[in-house]
Amino acid sequence: MKHLLPKAMLFAACTALLLSGCGQSGTSGTQAAPASTDQIVIDTTFDMKTIDPGREFEPTAQMLVKAMYDNLLTYGDEDTSTVVPNLATYTANEELTEFTFTLQEGRVFSDGSPVTADDVVFSLTRLTGMKGNPSYLFDGVTVEKIDDMTVKLTTAAPHPALPVVLTAPPLAILNSKVVQANGGTVDENDAAEEWLNANSAGSGPYILESFDVRSQAVLVKNPNYNGPQTPTFEKVIFRNVEPATQKMNVERGDSQVALGLLGDMVSDLADTVKVDSVPSATTVFLIINTDPAISEVTAKPEFWKAVKSAIDYDGLLEVAGSGAIQSTGAVPAQFVGGLPESSRLKRDLEAAKTAAAAAGASGKTITLSYANDIDPTGVSLQTLAERLQVQLAEAGITVELAPAPFATEVDAYRDGKEQIGLWYWIPDYSEGNDYLPYSPGQWMGLRVNWQAGANPAIEALAAELLTTSDPAQRQAKFEEWGNLLLAEGPYVPLLQPGSNVVYSTSITGVYYSPTWIINAAALGVAS
Amino acid sequence: MAETRRSLPSRIWRAIPPGIRAPLGVVSAVIALVWVVLCLIGPQITPHDPLAQNLPLYQPPGVDTLLGTDELGRDVFSRILAGAQVTVGLALLLVVMSMVVGSVLGVVAGFFGRWVDEAIMRFTDLVMAFPTVILAMVTAAALGASLFNAVLAALIVSWPPYARVVRSMVLSLRHQEYVASGRLLGFSPLKSIGVDILPNVAGPTLVMASADIGTAALLLSGLSFLGLGAKPPSPEWGAMVSSAVRHFDKWWMGVFPGLAILTVVICFNFLGDALRDYFDPKGATR
Repeated sequence: MKHLLPKAMLFAACTALLLSGCGQSGTSGTQAAPASTDQIVIDTTFDMKTIDPGREFEPTAQMLVKAMYDNLLTYGDEDTSTVVPNLATYTANEELTEFTFTLQEGRVFSDGSPVTADDVVFSLTRLTGMKGNPSYLFDGVTVEKIDDMTVKLTTAAPHPALPVVLTAPPLAILNSKVVQANGGTVDENDAAEEWLNANSAGSGPYILESFDVRSQAVLVKNPNYNGPQTPTFEKVIFRNVEPATQKMNVERGDSQVALGLLGDMVSDLADTVKVDSVPSATTVFLIINTDPAISEVTAKPEFWKAVKSAIDYDGLLEVAGSGAIQSTGAVPAQFVGGLPESSRLKRDLEAAKTAAAAAGASGKTITLSYANDIDPTGVSLQTLAERLQVQLAEAGITVELAPAPFATEVDAYRDGKEQIGLWYWIPDYSEGNDYLPYSPGQWMGLRVNWQAGANPAIEALAAELLTTSDPAQRQAKFEEWGNLLLAEGPYVPLLQPGSNVVYSTSITGVYYSPTWIINAAALGVAS
Repeated sequence: MAETRRSLPSRIWRAIPPGIRAPLGVVSAVIALVWVVLCLIGPQITPHDPLAQNLPLYQPPGVDTLLGTDELGRDVFSRILAGAQVTVGLALLLVVMSMVVGSVLGVVAGFFGRWVDEAIMRFTDLVMAFPTVILAMVTAAALGASLFNAVLAALIVSWPPYARVVRSMVLSLRHQEYVASGRLLGFSPLKSIGVDILPNVAGPTLVMASADIGTAALLLSGLSFLGLGAKPPSPEWGAMVSSAVRHFDKWWMGVFPGLAILTVVICFNFLGDALRDYFDPKGATR
């Protein structure tokens, strides 16, 4: 038969890939753990579209922006729960509606010009004005210059989470003169993205040397940097590498840090490397459509109950690999607003069977949709879905798997067309408020067609939380909201995958952050 | 046979010294037979349930799990046995269907000639003008990912060679004296085709088909590998290789299904070449 050569070659290529296991050659050669501070190579799986701070919204970009730009406030490297000053210190009024920021004296951008109130006003109004993906972070906040070194942020309602929001990389402060000279504006006509993908304009410890959104980013030390960090490496190279190749590279010394290893790859690492496995703040969950037009069965609250009690959560953790923990609720356990461990859902097969029967699930096939070409924080949705299928079958719920590429499936998810969807959420900032859109009528609720008015108790609590500023009250209200959502909502929180940061034993200063993964400026060499 | 380019296994076959081709053909036939038998009884003789996720994850090959376990704790050996039904079974089905479709069109084109021939052959050329894998991928993607659609897509790209070969044979047979005398005796076209033409076309076509089973398996598992064929948790070999790519440090997950595909492709191709040598000794050295 003719025309078979291409097929043979396709398969040969796949087999070769499988056998050789070596897709990428290292830029640094095969030296062992370096004592040199010339450069450090960080391998990761790129999830990134742009590194324009006002437009980026993906994990890899957050990490790069963190290294090149400073925010008004930030988190310490080791302590990721306390907000600390960076470019500015602040005071707030008692109602938490007015925040006054005083810029630190003497801080300069990479071109040597000072950081002023104008830069802060420009950067933050540009973020909201461009109406990009992260713009909503700063919705409802007005920013106003008091004098050259003072800026006031005002909100209509109390905004207790504002200091936390201000640490997020999209709220980085840019050099307004340079960005404006290269097309930057504070509205949707902004044309600086292309320039910002080839240059950096921040006051951070590193500046951009070269950038390819698909393969590699190279940062070099900012000679004018005078902030609190003390960067060690002259050059930081971020490479986009397949997970299994990352493992080989870091073991061989081709790279010093690997951020994208899958949870099940870190159990048998060579002793030239260390691994930090901690629960990430990414949440993986099921959404169940409440619209009878999508599925009569999944629209029934009994069915939500059936799924919640049909799942063997420990069985999911087994395939998720190192560092993963079961979710306690919608909000990651380590955040303000997270639920205690006692809230976790438990398997109860008998209850699940009864509820599934009551929902009329017998004899019906439900479609479980998911993206099969992404591994959010090191767990394969494909593997999880296959395990869920078997577990749900044990409770009499027949599920058909519908894998699709992320790019096509994400629209069905956003438009609320999936019967059951397996998805994940990477936090935009480390606070429970980020998760309030799970409530009915809000954008996450609408993805399962959970309309406003569907659960007034949950909606009322969510509205109150937006304006509650007392920490103890917030936690209490969050627990009430979270427990209600867990009991009555069409969502099944499954797990928080482990974040497995693997690094050479010669490297220090590797601290996992839920928002920017690791801070390149904190990395050092062991003495 | 009017083949201008041969498949890779066929070219390997040409490079083998004629003296050991016959024994190699026998060995290939035996292995091919084993796969066909497994295709019938494979799912019944698996040591573990191929879909049950009840074993430890990532067990290397050992006593209890002969070829190891995968990322969900399923036995790779059992999955390969059960997968024979999917991969080999569908490959057989696909080849039979391509042969039927291609032969019918080829006979019609060759026997009736003129505009019928032109129309069918230009359509055949049209399909053959597309790169096979790309056309199959486009078809499968357009129809939606499922095993049925993958077979349909593979069928769309694999019938034309049969149409061409059968047509060329019918063309030369049509003017043979015994065919002409049959027509003079009042045979209807259908009877003429059935009595005088088909028996002479069947042998070479069957030989061609036997060499095609391996490549059909390759195409189907290739589509599954790309996510356009078998859906999880089906133990289809291409899908198994695909999920193993993420774990190539656990080599057994991908190597064994890959070897299964390799043996099917090589053995059926060699078997086809050996049959061709046997039935057409003059052409054996071409």
